[in-house]
Amino acid sequence: MRELEKIEVDTLVVGSGIAGLQSALDLADQGFSVAIVEKAPSIGGKMISLSKVFPTLDCASCITTPRMASVSHHPRITTLTYSTVDAIRRDGKTFTASVTRKPRYIDEKECISCKRCEEVCPVFVPDEYEVGLGAKKTISIPFTNAIPQYPVMHPEHCIRCGACARACPKDCIEFLQEPAPVEIKAKAVILATGYETTPMTAKKQYGLGKLPNVISPMAAERLLAPHGPYGRVLRPSDGMTPGSIAYVQCAGSRDKSIGIPYCSRVCCMYAIKQAILLSGSLPIADITIYYMDIRAFGKGYEQFYNNARAMGINFVKAKVARITEDEKHNPILRIERQEGTSGPDEVKHELVVLSQGLIPGHDASAFGLGTENNDFGFVKLSDEMVSSAVTAGAGVFAAGVVKGPRDIPDSVVDAGSAAMEAASYMRKL
Amino acid sequence: MDEKTRDEASKDNFRQEPKVGVYVCHCGGNISDIIDVKAVAAALAKYPGVAVAREYAFMCSSNGQDLITEDIKNLGINRTVVAACSPSLHELTFRNVLQRAGVNPYLHEHINIREQASWVHKLDKAGATAKAIKLAQAGVEKVLRKDALNAIRVAAEQRVAVIGGGVAGMRAALSAAGKGLEAVIIEKAPRLGGKLLELGKIYPSGEEGAAVAKKLETLVLAEKKITVHTGADIDYVSGFVGNFKVNFKKPDGSSRQVKAGAIVMATGYEHYKPAQGEFGYGEDANVVTLPEFLALMKNSPAGRLELAGREIKSLALIHCVGSRQVEGVHKPQADGKINDYCSRVCCSSALYAANQVKERYPGVRIYDVYRDIRTYGMQHEEYYDKASRDGVLFFRHNDTDQPAVTSDRTGHTVKVKDVLTWGEELEVKADLIVLVTGMMPADISLIKSQLKLPSSADRFLQEVHLKLRPVELANSGIFVAGTAQYPMDVTEAMASAGTAAAKAAILLAEPDIPLEPFVAVVDEAKCTGCGLCPAECSYDGALMMGEHKGKKVAIVNPALCKGCGACVAVCPTRAINVAGWTLDQFDAMVEAIAKE
Repeated sequence: MRELEKIEVDTLVVGSGIAGLQSALDLADQGFSVAIVEKAPSIGGKMISLSKVFPTLDCASCITTPRMASVSHHPRITTLTYSTVDAIRRDGKTFTASVTRKPRYIDEKECISCKRCEEVCPVFVPDEYEVGLGAKKTISIPFTNAIPQYPVMHPEHCIRCGACARACPKDCIEFLQEPAPVEIKAKAVILATGYETTPMTAKKQYGLGKLPNVISPMAAERLLAPHGPYGRVLRPSDGMTPGSIAYVQCAGSRDKSIGIPYCSRVCCMYAIKQAILLSGSLPIADITIYYMDIRAFGKGYEQFYNNARAMGINFVKAKVARITEDEKHNPILRIERQEGTSGPDEVKHELVVLSQGLIPGHDASAFGLGTENNDFGFVKLSDEMVSSAVTAGAGVFAAGVVKGPRDIPDSVVDAGSAAMEAASYMRKL
Repeated sequence: MDEKTRDEASKDNFRQEPKVGVYVCHCGGNISDIIDVKAVAAALAKYPGVAVAREYAFMCSSNGQDLITEDIKNLGINRTVVAACSPSLHELTFRNVLQRAGVNPYLHEHINIREQASWVHKLDKAGATAKAIKLAQAGVEKVLRKDALNAIRVAAEQRVAVIGGGVAGMRAALSAAGKGLEAVIIEKAPRLGGKLLELGKIYPSGEEGAAVAKKLETLVLAEKKITVHTGADIDYVSGFVGNFKVNFKKPDGSSRQVKAGAIVMATGYEHYKPAQGEFGYGEDANVVTLPEFLALMKNSPAGRLELAGREIKSLALIHCVGSRQVEGVHKPQADGKINDYCSRVCCSSALYAANQVKERYPGVRIYDVYRDIRTYGMQHEEYYDKASRDGVLFFRHNDTDQPAVTSDRTGHTVKVKDVLTWGEELEVKADLIVLVTGMMPADISLIKSQLKLPSSADRFLQEVHLKLRPVELANSGIFVAGTAQYPMDVTEAMASAGTAAAKAAILLAEPDIPLEPFVAVVDEAKCTGCGLCPAECSYDGALMMGEHKGKKVAIVNPALCKGCGACVAVCPTRAINVAGWTLDQFDAMVEAIAKE
């Protein structure tokens, strides 16, 4: 372990997705100092990896990167990436967080982000940023727009060939780097730990993630993203351009059989958005969305849905019971139509996207700050009819999906409100 | 970065030899899929005055911004042209880059080659590329003629005026006061609470609407920094960011004025009122709206749901009345528009009400006629689930097959083409028809016209950008909270109002506010004092005739001028220009575009 680094700020923000970034900015712009701790090597959360966002079809990068840049340039915001919050202790009116900076195996003070190490590294590993659809080097900068632009080495894959160390012009590869402890003292804490999508393995009827052409919506985002793994939409099994694509709605929401009875709020809209983008990049492809109810409830969303229908995207009210595949890995959907010729049916597509739901990204109650979770592991508010951010833990506030699924506009709005509650709380201390 | 740091960083670079850097953005593919960005950069690199031209995937990203700062540092670039998206999205981003690098931020020109070239010329790649080159060249000509400008600073009232005292208004005032700002709530009704006072039990907490309002009201009344004016009839709102004036009449007829640095519009919604005869509404007493039904249920005795003394044994809920309307199917509203938006809260509130009926009057049969059930919130799906379990019968129709209600002595019949049973036309009899009505914005036409506030196609107030600036209106210093922006429930209104207060607090964090320097500037030497321009000015006091060195000239008040340019157009001697948008600059741009 390296020497203990100490940071003292007004507010600690846990998580640097769009909600965390926005609440940090909304506090710092009022004059408060903020420390953000992010477990991933870059700030930006889930949003930075999305293609375009509904209902305006702005590219996600165009909205997220300026926020990321504002945070990284802000004189009152300190950002700790690739770091974990191990514990938060409450001492009277102060919180003390024990944070560990994970080793990137480079000297961050010396690194000039030249990427030479990445260029010479001979080992390829699956790229989790591309949801496994692409490969990256075992020492590499996580993605083009990452902040900070430091490479991360994955020692479990490294073959210790030393190529990177020889190529580095600043001699900053540190094979023996150890985790570094950091202590952050703060007056208030904002939890913005976001979400994960329901796992591909959640539902055995949908192939448990073993059918190559049944993909997650995050993988579909990458296929559609301007700098995606292939630069175009190809299906994983054989690299073919799919001519028929299906979305399975509520694959991980509104489903008691997997313990997630709630609606995840975003899946109808992201499926419609991806369908619109797909019909742009694959104009002759057939796109079908199998749904229970289309929940286009936000500002401009109904019109977005109507546009998709007008573009010829098929909306079929049906529940998908089972997914199998033929010998060419074409997914076969066993569906029950709920309108028209009602009844069971089997349909074949060339690529299927499971519209997975959202589950908590982190168990916030584990920090031991007195916050409570609801039945599904999201943070509960003290009285949601009176404040959208106050939790049962004094001085602890919640922003974004940590409280339950919500889309980007709702999360951004939510973040400002959490910042305001923290500001009021600190003023009264 | 705060404004002060920025101003200090900014230097007088305009006296130096101009060195223009041109940066062409791919916008991830939004631009580069159509436009040959390399060709644009290459053409611009050769253009007179340009020292460097580059292209990059995302100019707005940190890496892209670093390209510019590096060029400023290493090549001495002192003026920039970024050819990218719309300036409304990222002009400010790049001004900040210049500022951080020590260049006056107004020596930047943002050229829109996305909306104005790649998006509109998708089928003509060569043409789009040629147009992008011309536009960028025009940008170079403009930026070469730009002057360094400095933000105009005006002292700001450290007070927030909250228009509307419903739950959103109360939350906005509480949050602003929590930060130490003074807040003034101006409410037209005799008491605080807004629409919640009329509603019965509401989701998700199951409290009476009035009880929720009371909780917030108690907090408001206990907060010393909040002043409340109820029964206030607003007659005139004027001013600009930092110095708004809200004039209103008190119930006793006396006039009051509140001065405020920022305004929060928490003006709320109205229930959609069905047209005469819409599903029999207004013609038959047994056709009511959901809010009317909630009141009816509240007043019914235990064990017997009744309307005007008659027992209700069955009822039919019809969803999407006044929402999700379809062109050609629904009659337009008075303004000629249909309500094509989803009102967001009605599905959950209708099913929440259905469950209350089943709880209190288990014998009542309930039919639910819907298009999509949109119970999206954390607990909302449970309302749907419970209603299904308790025997509420659901009928689903398509948007173009609207249900119909007919009435006779025996009650009402709802006819619906139900897609759940193979599109069969079904008929159900019900004692009561409950129209699940949506939300419309409250009538705030007076304030909207006085402050020139923008509204979206759905008539609700229009934010600048749903994700980047979701509670800010285009009018600087005016924010929106709650259902004035779009239908939402109480919990969502709390988030929206808290954020509106946060933005007001950020605006008022310093005693003075920086305003854009794009205001009219008079060249006294050229001005003949003809007096034509003040007549064109729409902003009280922004432009008046006065004296300068004994000569009659036009004089601009920069704090009031909006830079609209109406005065520029009428000046016969080209004596007035809007700073940053001068006639010389436009001439040069037109020349560059028209040049063969």
